[in-house]
Amino acid sequence: MDEDLAEFALDLAMGQQASYAEVRAERHLINQLVMKNGALDALLAAEDEGLCVKVVAKGGIGFASTNELTRPEVKRLVGVAVKLARSARRKEPIVFAEEPAVDTRWEVRQEIDLAGVGPEQRIEELNSIDRSLASLEVAVPGRMLAASDERVEKYVVTSEGTRIRSKVPRLNTYAYLTVKDGAETQQAYRQFGGCGGWELQNQWRVREVLAAEAQALGRMIREGKKSPEGKTTLICGSEVAGIAAHEASGHPTEGDRILGREQSQAGGSFITQAMIGTRIGSPAVTIMDDPTVEHSYGHFVYDDEGVRARPRFLFKKGLIHEFLHNRETAARMGTRSNGSSRSVNYNREAIVRMSNTFVAPGDHTEEELFADVKSGIYMKSFTEWNIDDKRYNQKYIGREAYLIENGELTTPLKRTIIETTTPGFWMAVDAVSRTVRYDAAHCGKGDPMQGIPVFTGGPLVRLREVYMK
Amino acid sequence: MTTLLERSQYCVERARSLGADDVIAISVRSESRQVRFSQSQVDISQQWNESVTSVFLAKDKRIVSTEVRNWAMADAALDGLLKLARASQANPEYAGIAEGRFRYPSARTDPKIKEPGDLSRHVHCAIDAAIEAGAKRAGGVLQTRNEQVALASSGGPEATDDRTAIELSIRAFSDGEASGHGVECAARLSQFRPERAGEKAGEIAVAARNPADGTEGRFDIIFDPLFFGSVIGSLSSMASAFYVLAGLSMYAKKVGKKVASEAVTLIDDPAQPSLSARKFDDEGVAVRRTVIIREGVLKTLLHNTTTAAQFKTRTTGHAGWIAPSPFCPALVSGSHSKEELFEEVRDGLYLTNTWYTRFQNYYTGDFSTIPRDGILRIHKGELDGSLKNIRVSDNLLRFCKQIEAATKERQHVHWWAEADPPSFSPYVLARKIQLTKSAM
Repeated sequence: MDEDLAEFALDLAMGQQASYAEVRAERHLINQLVMKNGALDALLAAEDEGLCVKVVAKGGIGFASTNELTRPEVKRLVGVAVKLARSARRKEPIVFAEEPAVDTRWEVRQEIDLAGVGPEQRIEELNSIDRSLASLEVAVPGRMLAASDERVEKYVVTSEGTRIRSKVPRLNTYAYLTVKDGAETQQAYRQFGGCGGWELQNQWRVREVLAAEAQALGRMIREGKKSPEGKTTLICGSEVAGIAAHEASGHPTEGDRILGREQSQAGGSFITQAMIGTRIGSPAVTIMDDPTVEHSYGHFVYDDEGVRARPRFLFKKGLIHEFLHNRETAARMGTRSNGSSRSVNYNREAIVRMSNTFVAPGDHTEEELFADVKSGIYMKSFTEWNIDDKRYNQKYIGREAYLIENGELTTPLKRTIIETTTPGFWMAVDAVSRTVRYDAAHCGKGDPMQGIPVFTGGPLVRLREVYMK
Repeated sequence: MTTLLERSQYCVERARSLGADDVIAISVRSESRQVRFSQSQVDISQQWNESVTSVFLAKDKRIVSTEVRNWAMADAALDGLLKLARASQANPEYAGIAEGRFRYPSARTDPKIKEPGDLSRHVHCAIDAAIEAGAKRAGGVLQTRNEQVALASSGGPEATDDRTAIELSIRAFSDGEASGHGVECAARLSQFRPERAGEKAGEIAVAARNPADGTEGRFDIIFDPLFFGSVIGSLSSMASAFYVLAGLSMYAKKVGKKVASEAVTLIDDPAQPSLSARKFDDEGVAVRRTVIIREGVLKTLLHNTTTAAQFKTRTTGHAGWIAPSPFCPALVSGSHSKEELFEEVRDGLYLTNTWYTRFQNYYTGDFSTIPRDGILRIHKGELDGSLKNIRVSDNLLRFCKQIEAATKERQHVHWWAEADPPSFSPYVLARKIQLTKSAM
């Protein structure tokens, strides 16, 4: 990576009377594979290198990016960014919350270096998953598999003196499965991801997990009964608790949403600035967003504005506790950034994002959670889900669900639906188990859309007296 | 300095000389500009410049691709790509690439979009229109696209394209939760009227004031073009043969069968002026008007050369790098005026926008989507108050069979990842659509 070019851009920007300038140079080495029903449809290897300049001038922000890494182009780019910033004509000038300058470097360790993993090995990984699925007793006529990895080198330099170099290897595998029995089908989407080397691929045990998934869906088709309607006890599996934590805690506490900056795309939030300290869930509910979880899919040590990452408590014992901030939203709310500024590449602005959002562990064993349920439903995983753009009304439909009778899982249930509100969900929680399990996902936000890597996750979470459809 | 076409030609020739059987190279130079705004103020103005040559090649049915951004490294990238192909495995389904020469439709670019000047004036024009219509504040995004594209293929096609477009998406807010959304999409600056989108967003925001809680049940619904643009996105994407083969479409084994009511004729017409207008697909096949659904009957899936061979048909000119995809789908207009369509509804709803469409099962079409912005009640053909907190929870095949009529008037719509790809839609009336809501 050409750090000199980044410094050149920074000097030029400050020479044009920008009040703040930030240059982010990135190099991505990318591998992608797509396999459909055993046929390798795509194998891509590519490199993407470029830089962006973000400046504040006359109270506005200008952003410009290029992958043409020459001094004349960068000079032109800086001129464009400054001109764009000056064109904003804002009544309220943009300001950033104070942050100390940092000069450091960080990287994620790899036990098995991705650079040493050849295409044959990547292909064989998908082949073995596909063969395993195709050989199951249950029919899996739809097997869409994809895998990708990227090694990202980044250099962030700001006019305040921050200089951060980082290296992050990240890999990801996902699968869409269609299981068929007779005329009936069930589908599942599963994703695996993390920061690190090829050792993660081995740890995920994708073959075994997907085989178990397909067999469970087959059982849902063969034995599943209509899910009972009415008020009951619901135990959410970690996947369901995780999506609820992400959608109904992480998103509504994003500072830019609360301030309305995303209102025309990803939406706003029912939470207002004044609601810090307001009860939103039972005392059993604590929800964290923590980028420091090592080797997680949403891991980082410094964000894209050079702010040190730390765990954030979004809800603490049922109270709204903290919002996710970048330096701009923090300044507008009179606080400090908590290191939530992320972008997917050099050609996208960094905005407020989650990292790894999960329900914090409680003090029950999983057995205790079930033992105390005379009659209820266990929604282990979900399929269709959505939430409104203020993050209040949400719906999760069970992919794998079971009736609970006298503390035991009995009948498989089809189309178990909870359609409720954010406080309706979190206020109903009476117990949380001890072990957090994570799932990888890409969170969509920004315009143009930026799918950012995150973990969702949780322990088992028990809700009392919730209405199931 | 090489031209884009020379770059593409060079990649094809070099890859062929290295032993590739089939090669396609597409070089793109783009300059996109964007202004994002919220609370009636500009948040950020952006410009992205990119130059990239994407290369696809096949060797012994082993298909691989790369992207060359640093032209000085083109030879090394192509050498590496051939090595990658040798290490890969054959795809028995691969059936080659398009061959021959094509006559392409003429491009209609607008030089004024290439040098648009200060874009924020269009933003303020839209905001002012929304405020004048009664809104208190507005947010959204204005974006221009300016792309030069050059394709070369070892199969014969060779073509260049020049693509320009401008679009505005604005959401206006009045009291409390009340909001409205408008979009303006144009291939020429002279046809771009940002105030039209601002005014519509403002008017809906005013009509959406003081919403009452919605109720569950089946309702007659008029869908705004913006809402239905999202439906068109789902329908046309699921018409991709790739997704049918992957089990991610409700159109498996449905060609020739009824998949919608007779009021539904869905086409894809990439040659007409639009945000996504183009002359050729990613194999260099000239685009043409394709009827996907005619009067409710699924006529064809969308194909590239490989999927066409699997279905024993011919490519429809929808090749993407991996999967065939729609470029500019459109629901063909009906015969009603907008007023006549509303008069068809005694008690029902007018849904102006939606988001977060998710499928429980793509194969069956079970889905839900969440209306946002104005959810307006219709009584005896007139707007009669607003609602909130509802969800459309239905089956998309059933939904399409409930469509009864559409207007003559159509709008070109696109916003974010929801009404995507860009499409043309009239106002659409569907009967007895299932709505649900949160239950406590």
